[in-house]
Amino acid sequence: MVTPATILYMIFTFYPILKSLTMVTQKWQGLRSTYIGLGNFTRMMQDKVFWQALGNNFLFMAIQIPIMIMLALILAVMLNQGIKRGRGVLRTIFFLPCVTSLIAYSVLFRMLFQTNGLLNNILINLNIINAPIGWLNDPFWAKATIIIALTWRWTGYNMVFFLVGLQNINSEIYEAAEVDGANKIQQFFKVTLPLLRPVILFSVVTSISGTMQLIDEPNVLTWEGGPANATMTAALYIYRQAFVLNSDFGYATALSYVIVLISGLFALIQMKTLGRRDE
Amino acid sequence: MSVARRWSISKLLIWIFLFVGAVLCVFPFIWMLIGTTLNPNDVIAGVLVPGKEFPLNWNKAVKNYNLPQYFLNSLKIAVITVFFGVIVNSLAAFGFEKYRSKARERLFSFFMLSLMLPQIAIVIPLFKEMSALKLLNTHAAIILPSIMSPFIIFFMRQNFQMFPTEIMEAARIDGASELYIFFRIAFPSMKASFVSAGIYMFLSQWNSYLWPLMTILSEDKKTLPIAISSMMRAYTIEYGAVMVIVCISILPALVLYLTMQREFVAGLLGSVKG
Repeated sequence: MVTPATILYMIFTFYPILKSLTMVTQKWQGLRSTYIGLGNFTRMMQDKVFWQALGNNFLFMAIQIPIMIMLALILAVMLNQGIKRGRGVLRTIFFLPCVTSLIAYSVLFRMLFQTNGLLNNILINLNIINAPIGWLNDPFWAKATIIIALTWRWTGYNMVFFLVGLQNINSEIYEAAEVDGANKIQQFFKVTLPLLRPVILFSVVTSISGTMQLIDEPNVLTWEGGPANATMTAALYIYRQAFVLNSDFGYATALSYVIVLISGLFALIQMKTLGRRDE
Repeated sequence: MSVARRWSISKLLIWIFLFVGAVLCVFPFIWMLIGTTLNPNDVIAGVLVPGKEFPLNWNKAVKNYNLPQYFLNSLKIAVITVFFGVIVNSLAAFGFEKYRSKARERLFSFFMLSLMLPQIAIVIPLFKEMSALKLLNTHAAIILPSIMSPFIIFFMRQNFQMFPTEIMEAARIDGASELYIFFRIAFPSMKASFVSAGIYMFLSQWNSYLWPLMTILSEDKKTLPIAISSMMRAYTIEYGAVMVIVCISILPALVLYLTMQREFVAGLLGSVKG
């Protein structure tokens, strides 16, 4: 019964992994390849754009994930405890952004964030800004655009995880806390947050792994990692090395090993934290 | 009284927060729908009153941008992937869960290990392999590698834990074969899980971007996501028509979500159940 899956796995996952072990030692020019040993790795050390791209990945992680997790938590707690009506409808609405494909919403946001576009018009009409912001042309604002877009797309997704987590918390705990005189805010920090810790950790880890692989948004929303590589990510840079710029598959493979290494490290942390959940 | 007032102010703040959040979530969708009725300049300028250009935009989307072709390509690829994917992965999951052995357990952990592998690391050597197999620029290149999914195997295995082993023993005494048990007993009794797995596979294939972008070169074989992204590359962009196409590309997911919300979310949440 497991045979068909195993065969497909061997051909389309395991064999490519093995093949990459030889590719990583080669320099590819068009269809020709020459053995260069660890040459790709020494080249990588001097590749400023790659490290800049990797830095962008970490920047997006450090800023976007905390904002998103916090918003998702607030929404989940409000839906669960703050209101009595409209819970189902609001949950449906908050999850709605998750049904869009990454390309669809990237294109939509690209149109929305044009310098002469709707977002700037609204902000100017509300007197929040005086002059249009170059969302897609300015390095700082382009990064902000990616962060806003990611937050729009994924907050509801994480909120649903938190809602499930909240529903698993026994309401008697809150009743006991209330008897002890804890107000809503104390209850949130002393009861809700500690009990949700495993779910939050899971969300953080999934988001880290997603941000590590970020590619669709910088390629379409801010266009090819622009402006001036301000939103270039490691995965997008690797794709461009292999398919757009040099078709050097050996070098691209070597770069992808860095992402594997980092993802592996995060996965290790994940197993440690999820392991703790079972105790 | 002051307690009552504080209570209502915090209620009010909660509702304002939720309302603003809901508006932000829904607004891009509404803007997209309005955009399908506007001319390109009005789309970008952000006119928020519906116009009269929907028929024109629809025609451009169909004739200039070849929407039906891309739609059918995406649909064909997604449906074939779901059909074979659900069978192959749930069979494997059933095997792992109900016919346990040390070797299978090891194979399962081996599969799960690849869940952590970033896509970008696989696709580059996979591209070379596809090139050697002469499969580049075919839909088979997109379908074949996405049929086997470690995540769906994991998800279905979790679900099969709830399928009682006693039924299988009873069926065996009645002379049923193992495949009969799977297709005629497990499948009908666990339909919701299969639907969740199918929705999940459909969406990930329907939305997949990077791999089709690498493998598909000719215009007539493109899927919706890569067609949309190459439309944005053009010198003049028919924004109204692009809105129509983006709208159509979101539609299947939207319909699945609104009609089968429970199964839809179950697939996405599958990873935390364990």
